[in-house]
Amino acid sequence: MAAAAHDAGHQTSLGVDNRKLLMWIFLASECLFFGTLISTYLIFKGQSLVGPFPGDILDIPLTSTSTFVLLMSSVTMVLAVYGAQHGRLGLMRGMLVATILLGTTFLGFQVYEFRHFGHVGLNLGTNQFGATFFLMTGFHGVHVGVGVLYLTSLLLGSMRRSGLGKERALWVDTAGLYWHFVDVVWIVIFTIVYLIPE
Amino acid sequence: MSHEASAGHGHEEHPPTTIRQYVLIGIILAVITALELVVSYYPPGSLEIPLLLGLSAVKFGIVAALFMHLKFEHKIMTRMFLIGIVLAASLMIAIFALFTHDDTDNRVLPDREAITTEAGGH
Repeated sequence: MAAAAHDAGHQTSLGVDNRKLLMWIFLASECLFFGTLISTYLIFKGQSLVGPFPGDILDIPLTSTSTFVLLMSSVTMVLAVYGAQHGRLGLMRGMLVATILLGTTFLGFQVYEFRHFGHVGLNLGTNQFGATFFLMTGFHGVHVGVGVLYLTSLLLGSMRRSGLGKERALWVDTAGLYWHFVDVVWIVIFTIVYLIPE
Repeated sequence: MSHEASAGHGHEEHPPTTIRQYVLIGIILAVITALELVVSYYPPGSLEIPLLLGLSAVKFGIVAALFMHLKFEHKIMTRMFLIGIVLAASLMIAIFALFTHDDTDNRVLPDREAITTEAGGH
């Protein structure tokens, strides 16, 4: 009984679950965070006096692939939420594993890109492009990393006997909100950094 | 107890989207990304940037409405997220204004060729 009551969440005057509302408020604050980073990037866009310049080193085919990987991770994540909401634990676990793997693959692409940029002489202190690029994409990568850990903890929790069940679908739903937000931020970054010419 | 349960799940009715529809949405997102690449590689003149931003906004909207379920959620969630987006947009405009208002001399792309030549001369 106590566990069921815990799963049901707390009653709020708004009639919505407070945990979910908290996640939305957090994501709203994250909009400001990434808005600042993107603004800074745009202000210094094209202002670097020494290379390497974006046009010289950005690998659009490679990043398009990693973007596709992250987009597909959003599909697997929403299917994990679907599985949790419909009591299909096998589907939920499978899709959580897929999302974790896709998120890790995205991080692998980012590490490769950062190492490559380092080898051609671009780092945080090289020029305005390096400073703003690494800061913005680096913080996004950290968010993906946190998301991978978040989903892993949910997956491990679901493996426990009293772990995630249909009643606790909200946990997966809330994690899904975070993951999709990280995806939409990348949609914006990909367009601004990689697709729009200098 | 039952009251608590109903309070907790008051707005937790499942979105009507099916697995097939979610996969279809994923395919649409991938197609839009491919379109963005086409626009980027074969730029249609001055329409390039508006088109890229437009396609990006469509992807953003699809993910927020259908994957994050904003379309089916309580309005307070949408309002909360919109407040964040509007504040972020205001912040961006303010930062741009702050950095560029009186900086008409430096708001042009640097002449890298001249800089390179000058550096070579020394």
